[in-house]
Amino acid sequence: MPTYILRRLGAGLLLLAVVTMVTFAIFYVVPKWAGRTTEQLATMYVGRAPTPEAIQATIDRLGLDKPVIVQFGEFVRGIFFGAQYRFGRDTIDCAAPCFGYSFQTYQEVFPEIVSRLPVTFSLALGAGIIWLVGGIAVGVVSAVWKGSVFDRVAMAIALAGVSLPIFFTGLLVLAFPVHAWGWFLTPGYVPLTRDPAGWAAGLFLPWITLAFLHAAMYARQTRAGMLEVLGEDYIRTARAKGLSERKVVLKHALRPTLTPIVTIFGLDLGLVLGGAVLTEQVFSLNGIGRYAVNAITQSDLPVILGVTLFGAFFIVLCNLVVDLLYPLIDPRVRVR
Amino acid sequence: MSESAPKPVVRVDDLRVTFPTMDGDVRAVDGLSFEVPAGGGLGIVGESGSGKSVTSLALMGLHRGSRARITGAIEVAGRDVVSATDRQLRAMRGDDIAMVFQDPMQSLHPQYTIGDQLVEALRVHRPQASRAEALARAVGALDRVGIPSPARRVNSYPHEFSGGMRQRVVIAMGLMCDPKVLLADEPTTALDVTVQARILDLLDELRRDLGMALILVSHDLAVVAGSVDEVVVMRHGVAVERGDVRTVLSAPGHPYTQALLAAVPRVEVSRAQRRARDRSERAGGADRGGREGGSGSGAVAGATAAGRPAPEGAAAPAAGTPGEQGREVLLRVRGVGRRFKVRGGPWGRSTDFWAVKDVGFDLYKGETLGIVGESGSGKSTLSRMVMRLLEPTEGTIEFEGRDITRIAERRMRPLRRDVQMVFQNPYSSLNPRVTVGDAIGTALRVQGERDTGSIRTRVRELLERVGLEPGHYNRFPHAFSGGQRQRIAIARALILKPKLIICDEPVSALDVSTQDQVLRLLSELQDDFGLTYIFVAHDLAVVRQVSDRVAVMRKGEVVELGDSDAIYENPQSDYTRRLLNAAPVLDPDQARHLRAERVRERAEGA
Repeated sequence: MPTYILRRLGAGLLLLAVVTMVTFAIFYVVPKWAGRTTEQLATMYVGRAPTPEAIQATIDRLGLDKPVIVQFGEFVRGIFFGAQYRFGRDTIDCAAPCFGYSFQTYQEVFPEIVSRLPVTFSLALGAGIIWLVGGIAVGVVSAVWKGSVFDRVAMAIALAGVSLPIFFTGLLVLAFPVHAWGWFLTPGYVPLTRDPAGWAAGLFLPWITLAFLHAAMYARQTRAGMLEVLGEDYIRTARAKGLSERKVVLKHALRPTLTPIVTIFGLDLGLVLGGAVLTEQVFSLNGIGRYAVNAITQSDLPVILGVTLFGAFFIVLCNLVVDLLYPLIDPRVRVR
Repeated sequence: MSESAPKPVVRVDDLRVTFPTMDGDVRAVDGLSFEVPAGGGLGIVGESGSGKSVTSLALMGLHRGSRARITGAIEVAGRDVVSATDRQLRAMRGDDIAMVFQDPMQSLHPQYTIGDQLVEALRVHRPQASRAEALARAVGALDRVGIPSPARRVNSYPHEFSGGMRQRVVIAMGLMCDPKVLLADEPTTALDVTVQARILDLLDELRRDLGMALILVSHDLAVVAGSVDEVVVMRHGVAVERGDVRTVLSAPGHPYTQALLAAVPRVEVSRAQRRARDRSERAGGADRGGREGGSGSGAVAGATAAGRPAPEGAAAPAAGTPGEQGREVLLRVRGVGRRFKVRGGPWGRSTDFWAVKDVGFDLYKGETLGIVGESGSGKSTLSRMVMRLLEPTEGTIEFEGRDITRIAERRMRPLRRDVQMVFQNPYSSLNPRVTVGDAIGTALRVQGERDTGSIRTRVRELLERVGLEPGHYNRFPHAFSGGQRQRIAIARALILKPKLIICDEPVSALDVSTQDQVLRLLSELQDDFGLTYIFVAHDLAVVRQVSDRVAVMRKGEVVELGDSDAIYENPQSDYTRRLLNAAPVLDPDQARHLRAERVRERAEGA
């Protein structure tokens, strides 16, 4: 068992290192291959008026004229030990996990991300719970009553859910329940610590919108998996024991069905934690996703790089958690 | 019916089970009646599609919720199963009648410990029992069915047990509530012979000690013979014969039972006897094979009688046992071994596992070498090494005097036409999207034949030769029965006029009567084409009837190799003797005698 954990952990760290390298290469090396000179590169990073002096200062500050290996080494060193950037007489002290500073706002990337984490976390976790529970429940009922009206309607809605993009459902939600009917206040983020009720009320619609998309997928997955498991021999054994149908379904059939669902849930949650871009944008929630969108429109490379690495970190983390949970769910995975 | 005093514990009267399909209703069981007295033993025997499994599910009321329509009466422990409410039915299942299923690898829940599953079986019906009491009972039941150190093993998961042990666990689960009837549907079909014998012995012992009635459902008359008092023979949903097991087996009244009995391979019949029988029937052009769907059986006789010119490269039809004259060695195997790395040691280190070690034999032209062994004995690994589908870790293999152990695949390829293989499962060994004609003809194309017309002609000829019709060329495999598919597989192997055919369990997926026909075909083809066979199987009787010599394998080693009659009549190794004692026999008295001997041996061994 400790071997298993260590191996998973090692694999996760390795993956992060590779992602860091590849992302860095995409932003700092590929443009050079495309024929950009160091000066052109620096022009993009200056931010405001690109005077020749400002460009030269940027090159010096970021070490753009140094070999790529050295640049990468400094970037990695910044993550572990922090870095300093000089602006004429001023210096920015970028503390330990330093992912650089925004070329647009001259703010350090890491604290910016951290300040937006609660928004994204609240959104992702709330929606995650809703779509997991809702999707599984609908899937189970659909499978047990296969062919019923419920099953058909639920699967039709699920198909719609999978196909409709969030900027459509989100706008629909804003247009009718909020603006036309006035059932809800305009969604927004209130810190949980300040006002729990307001927190839940403000995030309710974003949760539903984000969860709808995923719940649809989970319902379909659960239904398919459940139907397969219900055909297994051990389900017949359970019935032959005299168990009630409720127990057969909820105890014997559900657990094997959930095994693959947990795996995708880990992936999906990791993805959303790294920024639910569309949802945050549609509902104007100031989370990581929105931060990333703004950075992309302004070619703010350090921010993009930082958010990408953060997203990768959450995906790797969630996968690690799933891998560690797996032996608890399925004893066959346990290493002797 | 004859015994009027005790009330039967199971009574089935005029049972009909109908499944509505798009092509009209299919009647899976039609007018079946039988009774089982308390503590009695009933065997239900039939080939696939006879309705025996449908019957056993109906007894449990497990058709509820499906589309099946059930009429007639089923009474279990005085309760009418057909009209019972769902709640009454659940109260009956597991408490009055417990069921043991065919495949023990699939019939236990993989994610709960066997203790949990046993405890649950008790507590559904005895909610007042505490978990501790139930657990104690589970340990007792596991002990009863012969699971070693049950107190510890009760916390294990099903995947930590072998197939035979899992079947014991399923039986233990059935015992939890002291049911009046144990219904076992093909409980040993997926198991090795020695394990099969142990499970059947256990069921018999439980029936006697606990006074439980036993209903044993099987496709194999020999499995049932030693364990029940009465037997029902089913065919197409109808009970063609029903009576005392001794009477039915020694003096069967119905032609179908007679045919079924004749088709059961018997260990005591030697190859010479079987060949003599086959040859005389062949010469007389006797009617045969009608059971397998009619088409083609006449064609076999016709093609043979016409004396089709022997294909090039084929020896003249061998007369008598090929061992006597000119023992020309076709295949020489020396010290062959194969190692696999098994992962899963501490820190992910792998350990070595020798699937085959130090095996050597000579295979002479025109003979059949049988390789018997239980699962995991290495017989399939060995045959795949001979095919060079697997490379041996050590040792040498010579084919016609040429060392093929390590020659390059490119140079191996021309030799491939000389060695062909027939696989176990005809349902999965044929590509469902390729027509039969193409499946057979592909090999010719691969070997460089370009003329489509001549490929067609040869495939058609061969289809006819293996007992199918040339017109089947453009059909897809799903249109054929298991036996017919295996004929297609044989034709595919034959098209290249090979010298050696390796048959890996070629008949174990087939019904007995179909099995018999395929074995006959293989033997005829050997005569006509001068083929050499390596015949790999776990069924001792089948192996004896087709083999000149036999190798008995165990744990990757050959424990005994020699003339087949000599080995069967006078086995030298303990293991071979145990195997032979475990093989099911048709005579109920002999079956009981062998059982007593096994029990004694086990007692001595323990």
